[in-house]
Amino acid sequence: MPPALLTTSLVNTIQIGSLYALMALGITLTFSVMKLPNFAHAEYVTAGAYAALIVSLSGVLNPLVIMIAAFAVGALSALISHLAVFKPLEGRDVSFYTLILSSFAIGLIIRYILFTMADYFNLFDLRIAIPLRIVLRDGNLILSNLFAWVVPTSVILVIILTLLLNRSPLGREMRALANNISLARVIGIRVERVKNYAWLLVGGLAGVAGALWGLQTAVHPLMGWGAIISVFAAAILGGLSSFSGTVLGAYVVAFSENTVMLFLNANYGLDLAFKPAIPFIIIIAVLLLRPQGFTNLIKRAEELQR
Amino acid sequence: MLRKLLAVLMIIAVSTMLGAAVAAQDDMETYVLGVALPFTGSFGTFGQDFERGIDLAVAQMNAELEAAGSAIRFETASADTEQTPEGAARALQTIVQTTGAQVVVGPLTTSEVLGAKQFADENGVVIVAMASSGAAASIPGDNIFRVIYPPDTFSSKAFASIALERGHQNMVVLYVDDPFGNGMNEHFIKNYQARGGGEVASFAYAPQSTELSTEAAAVSAALAGFGEDAGFFCVCFPGAAEAFVQVAQIDPVLTSVKWLGNEAMTSAEMLEDPGHAQTLANADFVTVSQSADSTPLTPIFHADFVAMFDKEPGIFTNYAFDAANIAMLTMLAAGNDGAAVKSMLPFISNHYIGTAVQAFLDENGDQAIASYGIRQVAEDGSAFHVIGAYDGNTDTITYE
Repeated sequence: MPPALLTTSLVNTIQIGSLYALMALGITLTFSVMKLPNFAHAEYVTAGAYAALIVSLSGVLNPLVIMIAAFAVGALSALISHLAVFKPLEGRDVSFYTLILSSFAIGLIIRYILFTMADYFNLFDLRIAIPLRIVLRDGNLILSNLFAWVVPTSVILVIILTLLLNRSPLGREMRALANNISLARVIGIRVERVKNYAWLLVGGLAGVAGALWGLQTAVHPLMGWGAIISVFAAAILGGLSSFSGTVLGAYVVAFSENTVMLFLNANYGLDLAFKPAIPFIIIIAVLLLRPQGFTNLIKRAEELQR
Repeated sequence: MLRKLLAVLMIIAVSTMLGAAVAAQDDMETYVLGVALPFTGSFGTFGQDFERGIDLAVAQMNAELEAAGSAIRFETASADTEQTPEGAARALQTIVQTTGAQVVVGPLTTSEVLGAKQFADENGVVIVAMASSGAAASIPGDNIFRVIYPPDTFSSKAFASIALERGHQNMVVLYVDDPFGNGMNEHFIKNYQARGGGEVASFAYAPQSTELSTEAAAVSAALAGFGEDAGFFCVCFPGAAEAFVQVAQIDPVLTSVKWLGNEAMTSAEMLEDPGHAQTLANADFVTVSQSADSTPLTPIFHADFVAMFDKEPGIFTNYAFDAANIAMLTMLAAGNDGAAVKSMLPFISNHYIGTAVQAFLDENGDQAIASYGIRQVAEDGSAFHVIGAYDGNTDTITYE
């Protein structure tokens, strides 16, 4: 594998891995707190991307304003999904599978609302109007302004999320919900309020990820859905309960899709069209060989640190 | 007494009129025109726009039939192909089994057309496709007619010749991994090497991919390996084309070589992004696509479309309009019978001049008139300009 190709693939791994991490953290949070593998998550990503696109097309090119708009729209989409569908269904004590199916249904509804809007305003395959430029070039290493936003934004948001969950009263309440929702209710935690905040956080993170994903590719009603399998692979690899495991999983998936794929193509002629199969292979391998994902590894590493 | 008599007479009169109306209704014959297009998925916009073109053709035909006193009327029955071969097969089956349609306009892409082919052939249903061009669907004797857009066996020759004229000793191809992309890649390599070209490195991307940084890295490395006189040929679907240019615009190799590409690279959205426009301008981008010369019907179609739908027709929407007209004219001549339509369609098609080009079918039921325009992006990336023409039937390029 030529050095230039290796370097580019590693840069792509970090950039795309950071984006997957942002998207996958929301899935892990939903699963650990709400006990729901939410397939509508892809649509929160897309909704955030469209919010960012519309703001940028209106002439506002400040990345912070764009991210805030994406966060708000993603958060609102998630909260509405919860209040309109998940909460009433939970009240009826429906099965886990019903909730999964309803998440598919919500995803479809949001997706086709976005399709209708995109069709009406002709908003297909557009890009968030922030120009891409090179910020660092050193030999084979080329970093764009997108890299400079994506990676720090992801890292900062992951740190904020970790601090929020481990150090804040809200985080403690969320962890209490994750451990035992009945007990949390008994000790006086306002469960619905905590859930609302969790949904806002989940959707907001997805929205920001969508805005950044929209800078990486073209904005389309299916863009979130196109990434969701890789994102689920990252969350499953992380054990669906550990945030650091999820982040590690995101980088492993991105590494497999970029560096490993290019290595296999260059050395064994494996067609790049097989790239979408990689997350499926990871999901199957994890479920068969190590269903807990990286959870135990992360715990062991934390124990060693102590 | 008189009142009773008048009432009876009134009842008789009303009954007679109703009876006559019902009898007139019974005399009316409705032909169902199936419409199988991708209404969802990334080509959903095309599908919806094409359906509008077909609806316009049907509305105009019904108005003419009514004015002429004909008892025949057309109505459409639509189903979503979901932009997949399996979806296209399901859509065709649904239309035929629920309405008994014998003729279906669509689907859009070659992979969808091939997906629907088996059901069409086995059930005697005629498919009239408007934009499929993949060489894989050029099959003699089947029930598929691709009446407007010629197969890519022609345009692949034009791309090969242009690559050689530009001095590309070797080429790198990125193509969508479906029958259209595979066919274009295969025919391009064959023609390029038969005309004296060197090595070709090809990379396929999955049709559902929305992020192409891995593919861009592979293409860039292959181009770097070939050296300065290599060229790049992109065979992408809309969406993927924008995604590829997005990641290619900061690649030092991809921004220093010349590009060729299919018409998906020339969407209006592409030049709206200054970075994309500049990338294509730097790459001296050239495309080859069917010449849609204006006929007397072109402005009429445009005005009628805007009047009916209050929006501009999208790219190739007039092809759907023409395909629907060919299908309906054939049904008027042959009746609502798949076998008769299959037999009659080449004759009708060969005598049809629509809104874009004259249709004339070859032995495979494909458009045989291969007239292409060669377009290049302007130096400032503001527009695509016609710089020449390619006659596929004589394999000659002429520049303006």
